[in-house]
Amino acid sequence: MIAVTDLTKRYGPFLAVDRISFEIARGQVVGFLGPNGAGKTTTIRVLTGYHPASSGRAVVAGHDVATASLEARRHLGYLPQEVPIYPDLRVVEYLRYRAALKGVPAKLRRAAVERAMAKAGIADVGRKLVGHVSHGYRQRVGLADALVANPPILILDEPTSGLDPNQRRRIKQVVRELADEHTVLFSSHILSEVAEVSSRILVIHRGRLRADGPPHELVAQGAKRRLLLTVHGTPAALAAALVGLPGSEASPPTAGADGTCSVALSLERGADPTAELGRRLLAAGLPVHELRIVLPTLEEYFHSITEGGDAAEEAAVQATAATGALS
Amino acid sequence: MNGALVTFKKELLSYFVSPVSWIVAILFYWWRGFELRGLTTYYAYYRLDQELLAPQTYGLGSTFLMVILVPGLLTMRSFAEERRTGSIETLLTAPVRDGEVILGKWAAAAAFYALLWLPSVLLLHVLEYGPFLATDLSFGPVVAAYVGMFLLSGMLLAFGCFASSLTDNVLLAALLTIMFDYGLLTLPSQIGAQLGEWGQNYYVRELLDKLDVMRNFSEWFARGLIDTSQVAFYVGGIAFFLSLTGISLASRRIA
Repeated sequence: MIAVTDLTKRYGPFLAVDRISFEIARGQVVGFLGPNGAGKTTTIRVLTGYHPASSGRAVVAGHDVATASLEARRHLGYLPQEVPIYPDLRVVEYLRYRAALKGVPAKLRRAAVERAMAKAGIADVGRKLVGHVSHGYRQRVGLADALVANPPILILDEPTSGLDPNQRRRIKQVVRELADEHTVLFSSHILSEVAEVSSRILVIHRGRLRADGPPHELVAQGAKRRLLLTVHGTPAALAAALVGLPGSEASPPTAGADGTCSVALSLERGADPTAELGRRLLAAGLPVHELRIVLPTLEEYFHSITEGGDAAEEAAVQATAATGALS
Repeated sequence: MNGALVTFKKELLSYFVSPVSWIVAILFYWWRGFELRGLTTYYAYYRLDQELLAPQTYGLGSTFLMVILVPGLLTMRSFAEERRTGSIETLLTAPVRDGEVILGKWAAAAAFYALLWLPSVLLLHVLEYGPFLATDLSFGPVVAAYVGMFLLSGMLLAFGCFASSLTDNVLLAALLTIMFDYGLLTLPSQIGAQLGEWGQNYYVRELLDKLDVMRNFSEWFARGLIDTSQVAFYVGGIAFFLSLTGISLASRRIA
């Protein structure tokens, strides 16, 4: 339903999106994940036809957004990051106006607005002025607006930003319900949210696509598992026992309260040094207080690719600056 | 054209719920009422030719309020407010052409402007009775003058839309339009006077004549004459400024 090929967007000299390519099939709910300023909103604005791409192609429901923008927009429901308001209209009036603007025939308009309001859970604020409803409700008014013409594709830009936990849960629930009938692209900088709702995640950072896959797969190929160990004994004895343990890398042990000390080992992929570890601890006479293997979280995975990218890029930039200064 | 019609309806509704429009209307009728009362008293007292009265009402101060200040006040929000709140993004990502949105917004401003003028016909009608003039006014020039006023203001409102599309500051948009309106009304005759010999050049004179909207107004429309070259000038002006608005909106795509 959405196909993006080598999409690049520059604002003057600033490269906001750098050769991104991805495809989203019908019925997928895809999380579009990245820190603030990564290029999520820019990509979305190209898809919605608000900004043109500098180069590359974006196709929505079979229509190129550059050459058949109106057709593409007809198949899209869009919730922008900042839901704008016309404070002088009532919620129903606003939605009827939007439905009319999107070409919903006059006879079906009332029903379309009611259905969208029910889906977004705002049936109780219909008579209120848009300027008077709370932020959470306004976000859902925006969602109802995206839904009102019943488009096959929904693009939601940070639908949960600035909401309290209950409102967030509500929005997530709505997005999950939408998955049955719509293809959804849903951006966020909060991982747990994306992981809960979407079947696939696109990670974008500094304008580049860094990862693409189901949440659990990204975790598996991403960060390392960790083994946390606490024993009764001195840090020195523990460090000695761990020297050369295969498939693992240990940080220096730290002394804890009441004669214990603990250490964190990061494990290579596929490695399981627990049996060897047990033999060594027994030989060294260090009773085990606690031993546990921690699976990496999506947060850590995200951190590893985005922060790592930062460091590498900073180094590259500094190297260029240094050569520039020398020459 | 569905998009233009929907935008037109929504914008017209916004004018009716906006306090600015009501303040403008009250100010206009208050002032105009006083001025008309003074004018008719004057005509009745000196027994002047009442055929001249209707044309003369277009030289009143309240007319200048409507021509210089009101277009800017009506159009200042049209795009600047949408840009300020960000609703321009939802508006232009809906399946409507930019041109439809522009046309709808301009038409709503023009329709509201025409509605502001309309009751002043009633004022003239009231003057025909009893204590004022006790005679029939000739309404031919009145109709022509309304057509002319509508065309002139249509062009000023089109400029207002353009000014509003340039900025996200509503006040700046209004000031730009007011400066333009004032300049258009006063500058051509002043420039003509300053140019001296060079001003006698045929093309310069023709250009300044066409641009001198106030003089053209009093020489043509206010006397009941509808001249096609005048109509073409205003219609062209409307098309020109609405196209500029379109270019201004599309420029976000060039970045």
